[in-house]
Amino acid sequence: MKKLIMSLAAILVATPAIAGDVDYSANSQAKSWNLFGEEKARFTGKVTDAICGLTGDCPDDCGGGDRQMVVIREDDDRMFLANKNGQPIFSGAAYDLAKYCGQMVEVDGLLVGDSDITPGLESKLLQIQLIRPIEDKDFAKTNNFTKVWAKKYPEAKGKGPWFRRDPAIKAQIEKTGYFGLGHEVDEKYLEENAE
Amino acid sequence: MLKKFVLGAALAFAAAVPATASQGTQGEHVQITGEIIDTWCYFSGVMGGPDAVRGTAHHTCALWCAAGGIPVGILADDGTVYMVLKWKDTKNVADGTSLLSVQTHRVTADGMLYERDGIKYIMVDDVVNDEGIVLTNHEDFGFVPPFAQPKNK
Repeated sequence: MKKLIMSLAAILVATPAIAGDVDYSANSQAKSWNLFGEEKARFTGKVTDAICGLTGDCPDDCGGGDRQMVVIREDDDRMFLANKNGQPIFSGAAYDLAKYCGQMVEVDGLLVGDSDITPGLESKLLQIQLIRPIEDKDFAKTNNFTKVWAKKYPEAKGKGPWFRRDPAIKAQIEKTGYFGLGHEVDEKYLEENAE
Repeated sequence: MLKKFVLGAALAFAAAVPATASQGTQGEHVQITGEIIDTWCYFSGVMGGPDAVRGTAHHTCALWCAAGGIPVGILADDGTVYMVLKWKDTKNVADGTSLLSVQTHRVTADGMLYERDGIKYIMVDDVVNDEGIVLTNHEDFGFVPPFAQPKNK
């Protein structure tokens, strides 16, 4: 009996603290983007890909930036889907997180979403602005998307933002137009709404 | 008595501990019908309200975000959003190309549903119906964001 009680006590001690009333915004250095339901948040957790977090299918490189990524918070094992990196240019966080695959990190950013406006989720999404492995002192900005994109598409080098030069986007617009309904629909709208 | 109490407490505790990544969770086969959306613009409000960040008005921006690797979702008719983690034969849905051709489309997808911490995720095995773009709202909202309007046209 004594052994059983000791074992139970050991399990309890080894279990992460329940998040409860922890104020994750307290030490955040994240910048506000004035988004729906925005809350600043800094916490430690493990980086992995979302499929790994759900199914146990866990490639060593988390998909190398091609799978969607998550951070599983150390305090309460809560899984946050990384929806956005720190660049204000239509870029996700997969590349920024994949380089820390399997590592414990501290992330700083925003939890976003307001279920009163868009009730499709029962959780907020994570925008990560800063990240550091827990053994490192300094945070890094999450701005890797454009660097990786530039290496991926050297032929698209040029002036203007990446999303106006991306070959796949250009090909899709060439095929179905800016509204997705064909070029005639675009042209009709632009003619009728010419300034 | 004490033994029963300790065993009961241990079992209750074990049941309350959340699943870890290595354990995985059980999926459920589902069929979902809805619009393919860009989840960042939809949930963040960065480009406007939820009605403006769907449909034809927001189509170009949805292409930009999907190409940027931002998670794509299926907005079902009841308002639930299912985050897409697999599309047919690929799990590389953040690669910037896999989901471009279906942006803004209304689809019926078969797949496995997983749910964790308030978010529903779908691993799509098959698209059983693709209606193309159904929501035409550009007459109401124009281009969202306005700088998505093509220049020199």
